[in-house]
Amino acid sequence: MTLQTILPPERALYGVPGGSKKRVLEFFSTFIAQNTPSLDSQEVFSRLIGRERLGSTGIGNGVAIPHARSPHCKTPLAGFLKLSEAVDFDAIDGDPVDLVFVLLVPEEADDTHLALLAEVAGVMNDADTRTRLRRCESQRELHDTLIEAIDRQAQQPAPPAP
Amino acid sequence: MDSINTLFLLSGFLIALSILASRLSSLFGLPLLIIFLGLGMLAGEQGVLGIQFDDYSLAFLIGHLALAMILLDGGLRTRLKTFRVGFRPALSLATLGVFLTSGIVGVLAMWVFDLTLVQGLLVGAIVGSTDAAAVFSMLSGRGINLNERVGATLEIESGTNDPMAIFLTIMLVELLVGDIGGIAQTLLFLIEQFGFGMLIGIGGGWLIARLLRSLDLAPGLYSLLALALGFCVFGLTSVLGGSGFLAIYLCGLMIGNRPGRHLNFILPVHDGLAWLSQIGLFLVLGLLVTPSDLLEYALPASLVGLALIFVARPLAVLISVKPFFKFRWREIGFISWVGLRGAVPIVLAIFPVIGGVENASLYFNVAFAVVLMSLLIQGGTISLMARWMKVEVPLGVTPNRRGPLGVLPENDYEMFVYQVDNQDLDDVPIRLLRFPSGALISALFRQHAMLHPKGSTRLMLGDVVCVIGRTDDLPALNRLFNGDAKLKRERAFFGTFTLDADALMSDVAAAYGLTLSPGEQEMSLGEFVSLRVGGHPVVGDDVGWHGIHWVVSEMEGNRITKVGLRLYQ
Repeated sequence: MTLQTILPPERALYGVPGGSKKRVLEFFSTFIAQNTPSLDSQEVFSRLIGRERLGSTGIGNGVAIPHARSPHCKTPLAGFLKLSEAVDFDAIDGDPVDLVFVLLVPEEADDTHLALLAEVAGVMNDADTRTRLRRCESQRELHDTLIEAIDRQAQQPAPPAP
Repeated sequence: MDSINTLFLLSGFLIALSILASRLSSLFGLPLLIIFLGLGMLAGEQGVLGIQFDDYSLAFLIGHLALAMILLDGGLRTRLKTFRVGFRPALSLATLGVFLTSGIVGVLAMWVFDLTLVQGLLVGAIVGSTDAAAVFSMLSGRGINLNERVGATLEIESGTNDPMAIFLTIMLVELLVGDIGGIAQTLLFLIEQFGFGMLIGIGGGWLIARLLRSLDLAPGLYSLLALALGFCVFGLTSVLGGSGFLAIYLCGLMIGNRPGRHLNFILPVHDGLAWLSQIGLFLVLGLLVTPSDLLEYALPASLVGLALIFVARPLAVLISVKPFFKFRWREIGFISWVGLRGAVPIVLAIFPVIGGVENASLYFNVAFAVVLMSLLIQGGTISLMARWMKVEVPLGVTPNRRGPLGVLPENDYEMFVYQVDNQDLDDVPIRLLRFPSGALISALFRQHAMLHPKGSTRLMLGDVVCVIGRTDDLPALNRLFNGDAKLKRERAFFGTFTLDADALMSDVAAAYGLTLSPGEQEMSLGEFVSLRVGGHPVVGDDVGWHGIHWVVSEMEGNRITKVGLRLYQ
């Protein structure tokens, strides 16, 4: 299960209306429930919000990686939202967030969950990738940039643990 | 008249040379104290200048003066809140640890030099304590940011372990020259040393701190008054039979931990005084030694030195810390390695000379050789070891310069100077910065010219920014100016995601599919990590659990407030 395969072009969303953290997560939940029949939008939303309550998934530099486990999720799902305007996400550095990478995983896939999370974090940790994503002008371009960044990340050896 | 002129010329020349030579330390990674000692030896009787100096009692006096000033400064700089994690292990090291180190080294010295047991033990006692000057300067001078548990333990240990070594040395010297009292009397002496030292040090320090805070003096006088009263405490304690060294360290601790305007005048002066003391002391000790005598003892003394570094110190740390306190193995390893010896052993080695013990030159030269080895081997590898043993915690951005404005007597405003090297701040108008509400940018420098910052002024990389704010604003400001490289390093250490320590374990477990034992369900994440760490957690502690590193990333006193979640990759 690779990150590329769980992020099809139609789930890289461009120009998503911001508003607030809650609105963004609501938007994604509704979208993913329409996109994936087995999922219920209310359930996805409450799982994502539940995770945010433990501590914001805003990791700094305008990036957030909301993630959750869901019993109705058959296989890991990823979605990417580029917001039209940055929203306050209670991020660790206090900066507003405009790049949101969402990850949903089935309940039993815990190791995959962590591996995927680490991979997403690695991709979004790169300043260059963030700049390129911010420059994207279309959904197509956004998806291409993401996949290219993920490929690049996969080729790099994992940074040594400190 | 001539001798006075020579004294001026030589002392000025040597001190100036030492300060200039300290640049070598950063160039070649040579421990600073070695340089001072080496210069002293070079100036000495068998060196270039050929200065004859063998006045042990003068050296003894200079030694006491310098050590007192160094310990006072060390106390001023030690934050009382680090006692939370460092005090008890340090106290164990300062008593039991010194005792064990001295014993092990002593027995070995007896065998190496063919001495009696008491004579051997005297060698051990002399080199038994770590040196505050060496440890303080090595730790702060290398830009090493140790985790609080290790840093505090080492600092407090070096400030408090001299009384034990002095006690052992004096006792053994008296035993050798034959005026030792009974066991009861000896024990009483030990209790007096620690008891009076603590009592007068803490009590006197408390009074002095109150006095300094309430007095309105010319700025230059605060530090002098602190020094003078510190010396009074030292003298009074010693007269009553207590340990003056312990007292003056504790006195400094009390003064330095009472906030107020006066500290801003005291600290820089004492920083300079401590430097002068270190340079002066090591120069004098370098002058005092006769290199050819030193060579005579070189081989057996290096055996003693190696035994101290590789056997006695590690064993002593292991026995006096590991069973009682929750230290990780790598922390034990690092503390064992940083058992730096410095001026104290050499000053203690003058005791037998003054006390008239036979064979006194042996003690002096052996102590000297052991200190040299310790500084070279342990001091030279301290940053390497810190990295290797993973006891460092990444340090984010701090202001390049900061200083109080001196307008309010308490909770004063400060000026913080930052350089903009955070990519994300480039071309950002000032009004969009997430600035703490009480702070403001008062001036902005670009290419040596001062601009008047307005809300619409856009920052550029390389700008130097003066911010006026309070100490409480510092974390937010640091975060704002944190560059990307530093942020990345912090993220690699603390993990990408940060959880609130108040979060319930049952919720955390549900979010990541972790299994908990029944008792753990109701705990908060902070309590859980605290429990796993065992006792007093410090920033940087991590717990491996369910394929995740749970890293303590923020604390308030003894309570964890934020936990990082580092994923194995």
